[in-house]
Amino acid sequence: MKQVILSLVIVVLGVFGAAGSQAGTTEVALKPIKVDRSLDSLRRGAQVVFDTCMRCHSLRYITYRDLLDMGLSKEEVDTLRGDRGLGEYLQTTMPPSAAKFHFGMLPPDLSLMAKARKNGPSYIYTLLTSYEEMSNGKIDNPVFPGIRMPDILNVTVETAPEERAVVEQQARDVVAFLEWAADPRAQERRELGVYVIVYLVILTALLYWRKRKIWSRLDEH
Amino acid sequence: MAGRIIDWIDQRFPLTKFIKHELTEYPTPRNLSYWWNFGSLAGIVLVIQIVSGIFLAMHYKPDALMAFDSVEHIMRNVNYGWLIRYMHSTGASAFFIVIYIHMARTLFYGSYRAPRELMWWTGQVLLLMLMATAFMGYLLPWGQMSYWGAQVITSLFGATPFIGDDVVRWLRGDFVVGDATLTRFFALHYLFPFLIVGMVVIHLVALHMVKSSNPSGINLADKDNIPFHPYYTIKDLFGFGVFFIVFAYFVFYSPNTFIEADNYEPANPLKTPPHIVPEWYFLPFYAILRAIPDLLGGVVAMGVSVVIFALMPFLDRSRIPGGAKYRPIYRVMFVLFVIDILVLSYVGLKPPSGSLVIVGQVATFVYFSLFTLLPFISRWEERWLRKKGLPPEVEELIRQEEEEAAKRGRRA
Ligand code: HEC
Repeated sequence: MKQVILSLVIVVLGVFGAAGSQAGTTEVALKPIKVDRSLDSLRRGAQVVFDTCMRCHSLRYITYRDLLDMGLSKEEVDTLRGDRGLGEYLQTTMPPSAAKFHFGMLPPDLSLMAKARKNGPSYIYTLLTSYEEMSNGKIDNPVFPGIRMPDILNVTVETAPEERAVVEQQARDVVAFLEWAADPRAQERRELGVYVIVYLVILTALLYWRKRKIWSRLDEH
Repeated sequence: MAGRIIDWIDQRFPLTKFIKHELTEYPTPRNLSYWWNFGSLAGIVLVIQIVSGIFLAMHYKPDALMAFDSVEHIMRNVNYGWLIRYMHSTGASAFFIVIYIHMARTLFYGSYRAPRELMWWTGQVLLLMLMATAFMGYLLPWGQMSYWGAQVITSLFGATPFIGDDVVRWLRGDFVVGDATLTRFFALHYLFPFLIVGMVVIHLVALHMVKSSNPSGINLADKDNIPFHPYYTIKDLFGFGVFFIVFAYFVFYSPNTFIEADNYEPANPLKTPPHIVPEWYFLPFYAILRAIPDLLGGVVAMGVSVVIFALMPFLDRSRIPGGAKYRPIYRVMFVLFVIDILVLSYVGLKPPSGSLVIVGQVATFVYFSLFTLLPFISRWEERWLRKKGLPPEVEELIRQEEEEAAKRGRRA
């Protein structure tokens, strides 16, 4: 049985190793990023999203009240919402007819974007920072060729290293905010998980000890 | 006082007798390995799914316009809704992992052989019911993969000769997957788990009739048994503990491993995703479907590939006990089969392209060959092994087995 298991483990690793390497060659390599989940990053990200992204995109699962839960102060939220109610969701300022006119479509909702793409955070970061000028003078994006969203963060214009650093930081902050928006309960989940798993490990160790104890009765005969 | 209450009940209902017979005195082989824990694990996963499912149903809206939003509402606004939902979605995958290991154990140790055929067949029915339940449940979040997965799988029934289109319309309740489909899938998804519970009871009644098999493969019924309680109650509880640690890891730290990213986009009948994949637990069978160029042929092959397990008691004609333990060739076949399943899963996951199509067809051929060749190989292997000389204790076991079988035959 042991040999059987061992050989199977090797095969499984082989199959999935092959799967991994294959996946890399067919898609554009994403820039892997580690999401900065600090409140500072979320706050800056929210600001960029309000100032730029929400000109075209909505976040229909996020209300202004959720921003309070995220950690923004009442004053910050009040500044962001203006005369909108706390219970209203984050709605784009662009009317649908204008969006249809400019893009031929409604820009997709961003609330779930960080989960609705594979490796969502890296995908969004790479998408936002990969705009480039093609040989024909047009601006395009290798992550999403022919994308109808323009180069929002001005990646193609701000090419000097220090300007680039600012743009990339903005993209990171946006990603942090969008990751939060896709799963606002994630922090609560990660915190609770520690307790649950520690509890289960202790319980299981005790059960194992009990099991050894009970089964040792069999050795007496 | 407690004693008097129990006496009162015992005069009207066989409570003490039942507990004695099925638990404290129920004889179980002493030598079961941890592979025998997966049956009780399947039971606990069923409980997780039913309990979390009932709580989800309290907040879920089976309506094409509201389903997706109601799941997000559960994830965001319901108290611990995210926990219930992630437990349910992770539980579905856990269920298949546990069941597939449970089946692999049965195949490896030959536990499907007489007198346990009915256990194997009720298990086969349970597998089909589980698959149906999971498939219908996957439509409910009403994401892109939910929608297009259901669209593709229901359209397969169009291969039914003569009445194909009618069957598909009858399943969907409409010409395309839509609100009618969602509502009926929800109704059935709520019903099926309780039918599964009923089938599990039958599975267990059969088990308590024939008793557990064991790694040596022979009937130990009166030879080396220990009572189920406390030995196996504690061992199963320990198994639950280990399972829950792994389960909790996925629920709390990687809950989207088993959820396709596309499914966080609401169903859109006008936008076909570039690549539609079924859930991982259907991949091998999906690969078999695609390996056959003809639709009807593919659907039949896929159906057969799932139910062919039921034939194992007939296909395996070896009388050597212990499943793969004393049978080197069967052991090789078992390993080949598992590798083949993994290859098929990989092929099912990827878009069909040149060389992968060939790989899928070869793997499909191997899949069915292993089953069809088994009657010949198992007979030949037995003759070869007995000529070569089995260990004397195994020969002794076979002799005892045959004696017992003869006794059973006389009684019948
Ligand atoms: C000028 C309008 C506009 C602005 C501003 C804008 N977008 Fe977009 N965005 C679009 C349009 C249009 C699409 C749809 C692109 C397509 O499908 O071709 C889109 C699509 C997207 C997508 C989805 C890509 C995919 O894989 O389908 C993401 C992610 C995205 N935008 C993020 C952002 C972020 C983050 C911001 C703010 C930094 C932003 N957008 C600002 C117009 C805009």
